[in-house]
Amino acid sequence: MLGEILNTYYLQIGSFILINIMLAISVYVPLSSGQLSLGSAGFMGVGAYTSALLTIHFDLPIVIGIIAGALAASALGVIVGIPSLRLSGVYLAIATLGLGEVIRVIFVNWDSLTRGSVGLTGIPQLGREILEFARGVGFEPAMIGIKNNQFVFLSIFLVLLVLVIVILWFVVRQQNSRVGRALSSINLDEKAAESMGINITYYKVISFTQGAFFAGLAGALFAHVIGYISPADFSYHRAVEVLIFTVFGGSEVIIGSVFGAFFLTLMPEVLRFVSEFRYIIYGILLVVLMAVRPQGILDANLLKKIKFKRSKGGIR
Amino acid sequence: MVIEVKNITKNFGGISALKDVSFSINKGEIFGLIGPNGAGKTTMFNMITNIYEPTSGEIIFQGENITGIKPYKITEKGICRTYQNIRLFSQMSTLHNVMVGGHSQSHSGVFSSVFRTKAQRKEEQLLIERSEELLELVGLLEHKDTIAENLAYGQQRRLEIARALASNPSLLLLDEPAAGMNEKETDSLYDLIKTVQSRGITVLIIEHDMPLVMKLCDRITVLNFGEKLAEGTPEEIQNNEAVIEAYLGKEEDEVDA
Repeated sequence: MLGEILNTYYLQIGSFILINIMLAISVYVPLSSGQLSLGSAGFMGVGAYTSALLTIHFDLPIVIGIIAGALAASALGVIVGIPSLRLSGVYLAIATLGLGEVIRVIFVNWDSLTRGSVGLTGIPQLGREILEFARGVGFEPAMIGIKNNQFVFLSIFLVLLVLVIVILWFVVRQQNSRVGRALSSINLDEKAAESMGINITYYKVISFTQGAFFAGLAGALFAHVIGYISPADFSYHRAVEVLIFTVFGGSEVIIGSVFGAFFLTLMPEVLRFVSEFRYIIYGILLVVLMAVRPQGILDANLLKKIKFKRSKGGIR
Repeated sequence: MVIEVKNITKNFGGISALKDVSFSINKGEIFGLIGPNGAGKTTMFNMITNIYEPTSGEIIFQGENITGIKPYKITEKGICRTYQNIRLFSQMSTLHNVMVGGHSQSHSGVFSSVFRTKAQRKEEQLLIERSEELLELVGLLEHKDTIAENLAYGQQRRLEIARALASNPSLLLLDEPAAGMNEKETDSLYDLIKTVQSRGITVLIIEHDMPLVMKLCDRITVLNFGEKLAEGTPEEIQNNEAVIEAYLGKEEDEVDA
């Protein structure tokens, strides 16, 4: 029964959507303190390569690799963050974009470690490892009526889903607190925030580093979901794509990032039947949106209206 | 003595915005800083809060030299200000503006905020109570959920004062709080500043509304072209010839410009 419903193709798209949501959040978090960072592709690459190399060469469990990847990305975030946070706006965007390119070029040229532009293959796959673990404790996918590869894709999807929920929970909780108010006040008026006793450097580094962490985490997961990575996966195209998720969905509210990543990952798949025209549609959609709704699809006002309607409906 | 400003000079390029200005304020005083436009009054505020560092001179606050320390640390030590051109967090609610003002009075970090520890929840509750109490003081409690930019002009000025008070300052700096206010609003501002004083907070105020300054201040320092022209009680200032000349000698620098 379950075996008939589970379509591995859909599960795979679902997994990509979830990874892209993490990436969109990695842009959203620094942006919520007024920092436009285009470093997500670079941080993603650091997470991916760190985890892939550790698991391939040292036979470490995937979980350890992923955690190490995310931490390596955040360490780089701190190192790069402290000097570059003197920059703001477009200047920070360009500096972080440059950082991403530097990282990519290192991946291309450090042949002995990264195998250059060919990339790394044979990265241990998350789904297979979960399957082996399940078998180790005496569980067979057939017991719930699904095939092995269905189980693999389903387990990846569920792991990612749980992680995205945890990240959302984390970010929302943080937002509705002293830390979140500090971040948002820096975004709205940095000078006034500082004269209210807020250590702006500290909070900027925190949010920048959190962004790097989420990007590194997404990168490490990406490596173990796909099983193959190359420097091209972390080029500036990726950085721009991720930025578009956040800007398209609405950069003022976190649900905007979620929606943007969901919609823009799904749309090319849904539009597969018009083949090459789909990226034209994608482009036109972006141009129209920026013209009529520069703040993105979702913003605080729209959410308020939706909530208001719902509560009115509730009374009836 | 709460604060002692000692021989402050500030040069921007070749221009001196402040030249060797000194004054000191006693605890509990309302101290006025007046002078024609461009006299260096706001620059003096920026020196005290170290938004700009003075070229030379020292600022001693409660016996401690605070010259050159970071602005957020100055707030932590007990000096908070408002701005001449209102600088609220325009997209935040009135209540949240005041709660940001209470930042230095609270301590929760990322971890305790995300996990909502007992201490964090207690602190947050206390912060809300204190902020609401301050909103009541400035008469904005009923607007606590209004987005700051939707408040009327006079209300925004009062909110800025509440936000500054939330940092629990010993010295409050007000930069033209009555600017753009009508007579009725100015009257209630007077009452508000007097209440602030009665809570033991020292006030340093820049203001162009002379009747208000004369009624409100215990002592006044007059600046003109970056130099200290006079200092004294309101009566002394009103009868000081140099001051009269500075104000009336040039028509474009009207008193309440």
